[in-house]
Amino acid sequence: MKKKTFAFLLSLIMLVGALVGCSSESGSEETDSGSEDEVVKLRMMAYNAESTRTTYLKMLDEKLPNIDIEFEFVALDNFNNVLNAQLQAGEGPDIIEVGGEAKLLAKANYLLDLSDKDFTSKYADAGLKPYSIDGGIYATPLQSWFEGIFYNKKIFEENGVEVPKTWDELIAISKKLDENGVKPQIMGAQSWEPMMKQSIGLVNNEFYADEANSEFDNKFNEGEAKLAEAWLPAVEEWSKIIDEGILTDDMLGLSYDQALDQFATGKAAMWESGPWAVPTILEKNPDIELGMFPIPGKEEGPGWLIGGPGSALAINANSEYIDEALKVLEVTATEEAQLALVEDNAGSSFLKGVEVDLGEIYTDSEEAFKAGNVYAPWTAVWTSGNPIVQAYGKSLQEVLAGAKTVEEALQDADETNDNLRNTLN
Amino acid sequence: MKKNILGKSLYTIGLTIICIIMIVPIYYLVVTTFKSPEEAALSPLGLPKALDFSNYTKALEAMDYLQALKNNLIITIVAVLLLVFFATMAAYVIARSQKKIFKVMYSIFLVGLIIPFQIAVVPLYQIISGLNLMDTHLGVILVNVFCINLPLSIFLLRGFISTVPIELEEAAFMDGCGTFKTFWVIIFPLLKPIVSTVVILNTLAIWNDFLTPLLFIQSPEKQVLLQQVYRNVGPFSTDWTSFFPMLVMSTLPLVIFYIFMQKRVIEGVVAGSVKG
Amino acid sequence: MYNKNRQRVFMLMILPTFIGFFILYIVPTAMSFFYSLTNWSVYNADLQFVGLDNFKMLFEDSKTLAGIKNTIIYALITLVVQNAIAIVLAVFLDKKTKSANFVKSLVFLPAVLSILVVGFLFQYIMTSADYGLLNNIVQFFGGDPVNWLGNKDIALYSVIATQVWQWSGWLMVIYIANLKSIDTALYEAAEIDGASKMSKFFKITLPLLYPAASFNILLSLINGMKVFDVILAMTQGGPGYATETIMTTLIREGFNSGRNAYASALGVVFFVAVFILSRIVIAFLNKWERKIS
Repeated sequence: MKKKTFAFLLSLIMLVGALVGCSSESGSEETDSGSEDEVVKLRMMAYNAESTRTTYLKMLDEKLPNIDIEFEFVALDNFNNVLNAQLQAGEGPDIIEVGGEAKLLAKANYLLDLSDKDFTSKYADAGLKPYSIDGGIYATPLQSWFEGIFYNKKIFEENGVEVPKTWDELIAISKKLDENGVKPQIMGAQSWEPMMKQSIGLVNNEFYADEANSEFDNKFNEGEAKLAEAWLPAVEEWSKIIDEGILTDDMLGLSYDQALDQFATGKAAMWESGPWAVPTILEKNPDIELGMFPIPGKEEGPGWLIGGPGSALAINANSEYIDEALKVLEVTATEEAQLALVEDNAGSSFLKGVEVDLGEIYTDSEEAFKAGNVYAPWTAVWTSGNPIVQAYGKSLQEVLAGAKTVEEALQDADETNDNLRNTLN
Repeated sequence: MKKNILGKSLYTIGLTIICIIMIVPIYYLVVTTFKSPEEAALSPLGLPKALDFSNYTKALEAMDYLQALKNNLIITIVAVLLLVFFATMAAYVIARSQKKIFKVMYSIFLVGLIIPFQIAVVPLYQIISGLNLMDTHLGVILVNVFCINLPLSIFLLRGFISTVPIELEEAAFMDGCGTFKTFWVIIFPLLKPIVSTVVILNTLAIWNDFLTPLLFIQSPEKQVLLQQVYRNVGPFSTDWTSFFPMLVMSTLPLVIFYIFMQKRVIEGVVAGSVKG
Repeated sequence: MYNKNRQRVFMLMILPTFIGFFILYIVPTAMSFFYSLTNWSVYNADLQFVGLDNFKMLFEDSKTLAGIKNTIIYALITLVVQNAIAIVLAVFLDKKTKSANFVKSLVFLPAVLSILVVGFLFQYIMTSADYGLLNNIVQFFGGDPVNWLGNKDIALYSVIATQVWQWSGWLMVIYIANLKSIDTALYEAAEIDGASKMSKFFKITLPLLYPAASFNILLSLINGMKVFDVILAMTQGGPGYATETIMTTLIREGFNSGRNAYASALGVVFFVAVFILSRIVIAFLNKWERKIS
């Protein structure tokens, strides 16, 4: 008798265990169809904090009185897990902030195809490209992000150096600053990001600027092209900055914050980062005279910034409120909404005809913006960009430490790409 | 005689060196909370020029301290109570019954002593989300109780219960007490020393657990102190000297607990190491 | 009759606990083994068996191997250093004087702090920024600044040092309790034989610390294999892969890259590594036990 009860319970548990993997709970509780003027609650899940969207959310609130947006912030660290777990259970938010993973999500049929919607065509193609796959468009872009090199105007003036126009010039002025006892460039290289981004800045200049290479990223996705061949000359050019002793291995012991602190307090003349850092810099040192220049190439030119569509909004294909969610995206595709977005987080808009005045800090980057020289291949085209650039960035740390060559770092990234393609497809 | 004096002074020097090694990092942590970044860079180990609490007010706000503290307290207290409730009963059964099925269960529990639950976090994530416990305190509590801390607690309790004379229970049965009642009325009060060990060890472990909330709690208002600390490093943080108060404030409750209960805590750690 | 009822109540008392443990520990562990043989990924709707492909990929991936290697180095070094320091401290502080008592509670204090907090604190102490405390001290004594966390040959040992600082006190109090149980008559007998302090320590104290040591050594080993929080706070696995561990790799692959099956395979490797290492350590401990008895 007891044994039977026990065996029964045991098999019950096994069943639970087996079901959990693919359980599909039937949606949220408030499923009633409701009358027309009832307020609909839409869940928006995002990995950018609410503070970066305040003005925009307030505007949505005013424009769409029937829609109540519940903003759910989930840090990027585990955004994908949370989202995927919910999507697999047939639930999930109605509106999703997507980045590099949009294509994978679209492939798994989680996202609504927006290609036939009027508002989609109001965006420039460059902004839609990262979210397009197999003829469908699965998200519409928010404001762009970009990153360049911040410099301290006062230090530049005092030492008689000017904003560099070529990579060699950058190295030359760095040496001059160094001779004058000023640390030319600080970098929080404990994080794998800054070197990865800066070196890709040179790849933008030397490789992607050439029309002939426009198909490279797609081939790279398919495993038909290798970074270790295509990018090598550009990244080797970048690595001069290590050979010349401007980036040093002690920076591997500096975190992002510590580097920011050194730059903001005038201990270093240059620092690579983006607009999100400006409020913190100014808080630390309200008197700093700040500028940002794009990453220069071998030849004189407007230079390139690293960046692209930062993130975009997609609609859960299984949402119960698709019409309402579409309305939100429709309102987002207006100049007013775009300006509201930029208000809290500087960037440019992909909506055709919207001009954003970025302000004085970015004067030196104006030409690059005008030429459309903003690109980040891993968010724009690569299927699983983040893990690949992470592997690349970590290997660049080993390059800075003198344990690897640039070529080996690029090979590591290629290998990661192959591994991911094999596991995820 | 001479040798004795030499030995004594060597001993004192040794003690002093140990003290310095232990104190300096903690002293540095505390004094830095009262300094501006410039002051801290200029004299890292100097006393602060003024007792300036502005770093603390900034940190309180940035990490939503009271809310996070409340979350920590809820998770720790509920989890520890559940652990005591479940583990004492299970350990009692294992210690008192000769039935094979319970011996088998015991050996299954003991697997958890050696193999850390971390090996299975990926499927565990599926299970928690399948049970609709994602982003709830209950999810973190259950993982802490059943996944992480149960095996050691049962192990310790079982060892102790075996030493409690069975005659006491038999007398209670004579008086017509049921098994369940006997346990809670007669046996449980006798377990006080080992239960206090279990409470102390688990309080330390659960309060300081970071991985479980990191994986299973997302909403800012549900996050625990350590998540708030973690969230405040990186791209959006302000001065590093206002990060230090967060470190202090997230550990302060346990440090106070330790200062007042020092003897108990150390006894608990020792009792937790005795082979059962 | 009475006994039958008693067994039924017993079952009711233990079953909820067992079910909880079963669902949240045994099932996920079993699922790890199962998933490690599939192509499971969050981006992959149809589950297929792929045999040992994940393991093959794992053992060909130098990044993952670096994580496994670092974890084993970390666990073994912390095991040895922590226990050695804890034993020395225990012998040194096993006195009833006020100052010894004060130092004892001070040495134990870091153990109540969270590992994450200690990690962040030492990240600031060991930074190569100008205000890094440790380098300031080194320079004060005329040394050259060291890149504690940024040098790939040093970083792992810097992390180990902080954990030794934090946990030696915990192990120490366990050793002290053990010392108190050693019969003083043994020392008196040795003194009559004219044994020196050193030989007393090695001939009497150390062998008789076996009970505490067996517990502490296993504890350090298992905690060492799980290392995660302190890495996250201090180095995030860097520079390069110099401080990646099994857990940081598992979280990165399983959660950030969405390679769930691969991460499950790593979980299985983790299981095997813990199992083998603890067997070795237990075998060593048994040898020790036989020697002293």
